[in-house]
Amino acid sequence: MIKLSHVRKAYQIDNDVEFVALHDISLEINRGEFTALVGPSGSGKSTLMHIIGLLDLPTSGEIVINGDDISHLDDNALSTLRNEFVGFVFQQFNLINKLTVLENVLLPTYYARKKLSYDPEKRAMEILDRFGIGSKANSRPNRISGGQQQRVAIARSLIMSPDMILADEPTGNLDTKTGDEIMALLKDLNREDNMTVVIVTHEPDIAARTNRQIRIVDGSIESKNP
Amino acid sequence: MKQLTITIQSAIFDFSRNKGRTFLTSLGILIGVLAVVLLTAFGLGLRVFIEQQFESLGSNLVRVVPGKILQGGGFRGGSSAMGTIRFDEKDVLRIERVKGVKMVVPVFTKSITIQGASESIFSDMYTSTAGVFEALNVKPQAGILFTERDVSKRSKVVVIGPTIAEKLYGTPKRAVGNTIKVESQTFRIIGVAEKKGGGFGGPDFDSYVYMPYKTAFIFNPQKTFLALIILAETEDSIPKVKRGVEEELLVRYNEDDFSVIEQQELIGAISSIFSMINTVLLAIAAISLVVGGIGIMNIMYVTVTERIKEIGIRRALGARKSDILLLFLVESVILSLLGGAGGLLLSAIIVFFIHPYFPAYISMESVLLALGVSSAIGIIFGVFPAKKAADLSPIDAIRYE
Repeated sequence: MIKLSHVRKAYQIDNDVEFVALHDISLEINRGEFTALVGPSGSGKSTLMHIIGLLDLPTSGEIVINGDDISHLDDNALSTLRNEFVGFVFQQFNLINKLTVLENVLLPTYYARKKLSYDPEKRAMEILDRFGIGSKANSRPNRISGGQQQRVAIARSLIMSPDMILADEPTGNLDTKTGDEIMALLKDLNREDNMTVVIVTHEPDIAARTNRQIRIVDGSIESKNP
Repeated sequence: MKQLTITIQSAIFDFSRNKGRTFLTSLGILIGVLAVVLLTAFGLGLRVFIEQQFESLGSNLVRVVPGKILQGGGFRGGSSAMGTIRFDEKDVLRIERVKGVKMVVPVFTKSITIQGASESIFSDMYTSTAGVFEALNVKPQAGILFTERDVSKRSKVVVIGPTIAEKLYGTPKRAVGNTIKVESQTFRIIGVAEKKGGGFGGPDFDSYVYMPYKTAFIFNPQKTFLALIILAETEDSIPKVKRGVEEELLVRYNEDDFSVIEQQELIGAISSIFSMINTVLLAIAAISLVVGGIGIMNIMYVTVTERIKEIGIRRALGARKSDILLLFLVESVILSLLGGAGGLLLSAIIVFFIHPYFPAYISMESVLLALGVSSAIGIIFGVFPAKKAADLSPIDAIRYE
């Protein structure tokens, strides 16, 4: 579904000093996988996540999504791809507090370029109900608990029916119990809805709950399935 | 469309959370629009006011004055403007023969000090024939007007304006029959004219003293006139009368010695001066709009910085650069329009309270202009901050804390 070949990401720090965040990364994530990108902080896993999430382009290398090379797409095309291909879940939830829970969930549909085959509002309510927070639809995100906020964020990532959910430290801001619930929810989505889920984490415990771990150390993939 | 509605809603929600800041930001535009709309309202009012003043004099009038004062629609300055020649009774007789002329009213005016029973006041004496009352549309509210007989008999009578009557004797009725002294000569007040208003820009008819011109030869030993007011038979005959009078006067004077002016030309000239002054004032007021716009730009830059994270979130969810640009443009336009609408409302209230005293009014054009200009300012001064927001890299924005 998404395939990275020889992806390299380097940042120019000074005129002649270069910081290489990712060396020659090649990996493929297939439909229906539940994968973790694991690594200590500074390993380059966040950079890799940004590239998989189309927030950033590699310095060199190729990214193929559903058969199409996207390395040369312009900003508008990348925006549309972010909108349709990937659903983000962040450590900080990243909800917009001046919008209601429902409006937050609907936000990606405001930027949709394709015609949606469903009624976005009805679908948003279905997802919220499924996650047990339907009653909070008209609340502001800063008035509900952290666990509820992360559920809203997951609902938002699902509204466009993306190919993949990309969750960056989804439990990082939650207590263990709530974190477990969120992980269970993501696992559920993977198992029951065959949703492709990629989790970025530095916690081996969290990574252990997925089906596949990709370990990043110093900008390179250490080894697959150790 | 739906996106725009939501954008507007969220902008309004933002503003309602930051009421103080929204108000202060809009205040600049509010003051600018207030200044522009009020100035336009007063400019229009002043023009109407002046036109009303002149129309109350009647529209069949042609004036002959010394010197060349009107040229190409405006007043001409310079030494010849005041003129040196004076007209006399011979000119009056010649012009009375011109075809289409109903009446010639010679005018001699002089600033005088009037001594009443208790106090003395300054005034303008307007000496003429009895026809002056018809030409200037003057009617008595008490007593009577002087007649041709009074003129030929050199009767020592005067008709005074209501302002003078009130100052000297309290009411017009009480003034009639009393006397006033002008330069130690005593004159009997036989009538008080109706109120005409005036003062702003136009002549203040209410403080005139009208006197038969032959009586006034005491003050005018050369027996000359400063102006001749000609009443045409009909409005249509005015051009013909104008030409005839010019031909008649050219026999005795040079072309540059006198001007024959239609009432309409005079109104046009005065209006053009006022509209020029108004334009200058409007330009000054427009500067405050620019200052208000800079205020909006300033606060929009702050807003963009405060909301970098939000921009990042929206970009991650699929918003394009143009979507972010629109988001901030909508906000700056709303801010600016709020100010514009506030300024408009405030000026409407001010004009409402001033209207009984002065014919100021807000035209549809100035409403549209105020709203148009304030949205334009919102766009012009909002586009740079919005561009800054749109050009943020999604990755930097989402990581911003």
